[in-house]
Amino acid sequence: MKELRRNMRLVGMIVVTMFIALAVWFAMTVYTQGSIWASDIHNTRLSASNTLRGDITDRHGNLLATTAEDGSRQYTTNTAARRALSQTVGDIAGMSGVGVETFYSSQLMDISTSLLDRLSELFHGAEHIGSSIQLTIDGRLQAYISSQFPKGYEGAVCVMNYRTGEILAMVSLPDYDPYEIMSRSDAEVQDTAFLNRCLQGLYTPGSVFKIVTLASAITNDPNVIDQPFTCAGTWEYQGGRIVCAGNNAHGNVDLKTAFKRSCNVTFGKLAYQLGLDRLRATAELFGFNENFKFGDFVVYNSSFPRTSSGLSGLVWAGIGQGQVLVTPLHMTMIASAVANRGVMMKPMLAMQITNSLGTVTSSGQPIAYRQVLSESAASKIAEYMYEAVQSGTATRAQIQNYTVCGKTGSAEISDDKSVETNAWFTGFIYDDAHPYAIAVVIEGGGAGARMPSELAAKSLTAAIQYVG
Amino acid sequence: MENLRIDEMRVALRRSNTRLLLSAVMTFQAAAMALVAFQSGTTNTQALILAVALPVVTALTTVSMGKLWPIDRAILIMVLFLCSLGIITLSDIAKADVTPRTQAIYALAGIFAMFVGAAAIRAYKDWKKYTPALMVLCIIALLSPYLPVVGIVKNGARNWVGFRGASVQPSEFMKPIMILCLAGGFANRPKFTQCIPTIAFAAVCCGILLMQRDLGAVLLYFLTTVLMYYAATSNAFITLSGLGLGAGAAVLAYRFIPLVQTRVALWQNPWSDPTNKGLQLVQALIAIGSGGLFGMGLGLGRPRSIPLYYSDFIFAAITEEFGLIFAIGLLTIYVLIILRGLIVAFNARTSFHSLAAFGLVVILGLQTMLIVGGNTKLLPLTGVTLPLVCYGGSSLVSTFFSMGILLGISSMNAEDEAKDIERLEIRETV
Repeated sequence: MKELRRNMRLVGMIVVTMFIALAVWFAMTVYTQGSIWASDIHNTRLSASNTLRGDITDRHGNLLATTAEDGSRQYTTNTAARRALSQTVGDIAGMSGVGVETFYSSQLMDISTSLLDRLSELFHGAEHIGSSIQLTIDGRLQAYISSQFPKGYEGAVCVMNYRTGEILAMVSLPDYDPYEIMSRSDAEVQDTAFLNRCLQGLYTPGSVFKIVTLASAITNDPNVIDQPFTCAGTWEYQGGRIVCAGNNAHGNVDLKTAFKRSCNVTFGKLAYQLGLDRLRATAELFGFNENFKFGDFVVYNSSFPRTSSGLSGLVWAGIGQGQVLVTPLHMTMIASAVANRGVMMKPMLAMQITNSLGTVTSSGQPIAYRQVLSESAASKIAEYMYEAVQSGTATRAQIQNYTVCGKTGSAEISDDKSVETNAWFTGFIYDDAHPYAIAVVIEGGGAGARMPSELAAKSLTAAIQYVG
Repeated sequence: MENLRIDEMRVALRRSNTRLLLSAVMTFQAAAMALVAFQSGTTNTQALILAVALPVVTALTTVSMGKLWPIDRAILIMVLFLCSLGIITLSDIAKADVTPRTQAIYALAGIFAMFVGAAAIRAYKDWKKYTPALMVLCIIALLSPYLPVVGIVKNGARNWVGFRGASVQPSEFMKPIMILCLAGGFANRPKFTQCIPTIAFAAVCCGILLMQRDLGAVLLYFLTTVLMYYAATSNAFITLSGLGLGAGAAVLAYRFIPLVQTRVALWQNPWSDPTNKGLQLVQALIAIGSGGLFGMGLGLGRPRSIPLYYSDFIFAAITEEFGLIFAIGLLTIYVLIILRGLIVAFNARTSFHSLAAFGLVVILGLQTMLIVGGNTKLLPLTGVTLPLVCYGGSSLVSTFFSMGILLGISSMNAEDEAKDIERLEIRETV
């Protein structure tokens, strides 16, 4: 019997320990993941609940979404503006998986309200009203950019304050009308319209990636800026060849000239000179291959080849082709880091969250994400980007009375030359009063980067005017 | 003389401070049911009746059973609390009033079964003689779903028997019987060869349940057998081999039974198919997450969006309504029942009673862990019930019967202790 008791005690203790482990595990997962589960789009409580969803406003306090007295969800009255803001604000059906309505649903519904607050609501006889969110977005700016986007094209524009990380606009085309999805069947709405291309669009960067290649070169060897390069319009490396746009021979060039005229041969050689490991190290410092968790929204991860697929992979990666992929938001962050003396800011979308009692429960603070460049390297790259706008490929991005720095790109997305390339522009205003960075991508926008540069100039001018 | 002493013991036991526990449980029952009764504009008469009936039945059961035998009242009160929590939750969340009403009737049947269980174990003195017969009965009962006319297939498992709309699940009812068989077979520290018939019996039971695709029950029967064997014999080698064999069988089951593969795949990533196959688990997790720390509040949650919210996923439903802290408290109640049950097992005078109490406690603990783990994505979902809480007559009545056995053993312990004290005093006075 003594032995039996000993064995029973052992087994009993194991069972009880397992129970404790289960309870701890349960509490931990609910604590860490509960609000993610609760904000899932399949949560019917979110759309059918008695709780009144809080408001969503833009940075100036203009209502982007509110709950009407009859309980229905109202969005911006102007149809064009409503569409322009569709993927950013989202919708209560959860069609845009990354919209504020979906991502912040637990705050908008205030599922996580503390017991004390709930008791006080009970005491006051108040209805349970969710928190309101003020976004860093400028609704007017976003609507304007959307209206200026070349007709018939798809793509994305992302504008950000590079000193604070505040996202001012996230335009993604095609867009949708949140009112229509409530009355229409799924099949009638274009699927890709629900994607927020700024966050979910993974694009081949093409020449805008030369910023990163340049950063790697300057960081690893500051003397590279004086190194002479020769461009014959085409360069045969072992196992392939790389050509400049239109087989244009740039002749004897230094790095600055090569950058502002976007010389593929020089940057291919530069990547070759750096080697995959050093180039990848810089790219990863800039956030490639990183699992971004910014807390304010979901953004897809950019990628840079981890293993070498021969010399070809390296050379093409140096000019942003091949397996390099980037989201427009991340590209904006890269330009921002150059503008902000090498410090990449954590992007911010929620400026302030206020609960129904008027208490501010969370307010966005500028947070430095990482120093990705030395200050001197950053100012050197900014100087080159200034040259590109002044007398290089990006002259159409100039704005009167402001110093604009930028870089164009035309990314080949197919080996078939008949498929138009994606046209890029990324850059910033060099001005402390208006520290705005931008990335523009126009799908099938063609070479020459005329359209994205012009759109960037218009967008930044509007940002100066609207945001102040 | 002897009877007087035992009466004194009874008085002492009654005084062991369960009054506070009883009043707390009764208050909870009345308050919660009243809340359900008045939460909408129209008064829910049935809930109002239950608001009175639950505390009254709880008090009556506790007092009468305590008067009848010197049982461990704390276990009894906690068991009744769990059962009433099930009825309260169902009153609130079920689509129709008939569900909680049926459950309340089952609970009455269960309380009756508990008295029967306690009386039966106290009368079951000839357990050595009857164990083989009980084993045969158990196997026949488990095979009964294969009989023509009465056999029924539900949710992909052929483990029900029914007649004219009324149906029962033999695998549930046989749980306490099987524990008694195992305790009888493993009692008195047998050698391995002596255990072979009992192990064969357990293997046959598991085999039948596997054929019926009642995977949760297989797992419970198997683990309980192994743990009881270990407790009885201290033979670590055979125990570990048994566990290894079980693991091997699990791998084979995964290979050859599509149901197992589906369950495991859904457990690993329910979000891969959130609106179809993963619907249950995804909605359960959403419900748990929506509840948060303090719950949406009784009557304010919407657990009906979880399929099987009243049975397999009642733990998720309770967590949504009452919150995480309450759910942890619920788990604590189970742990307390297990700990009190283990004390009963320690104090039992024969290895048969000791093992029986131990087995009942272990199977209760394992079952709770399986279903709570399944609700919260820690374990793959097995279709076992949350003991005493979830909707279903077979499981409720059978668990009440098990708890009756446990309480019966506790009363025998108390009487034996009283006798001991008496003998000791006689020796001292002589």
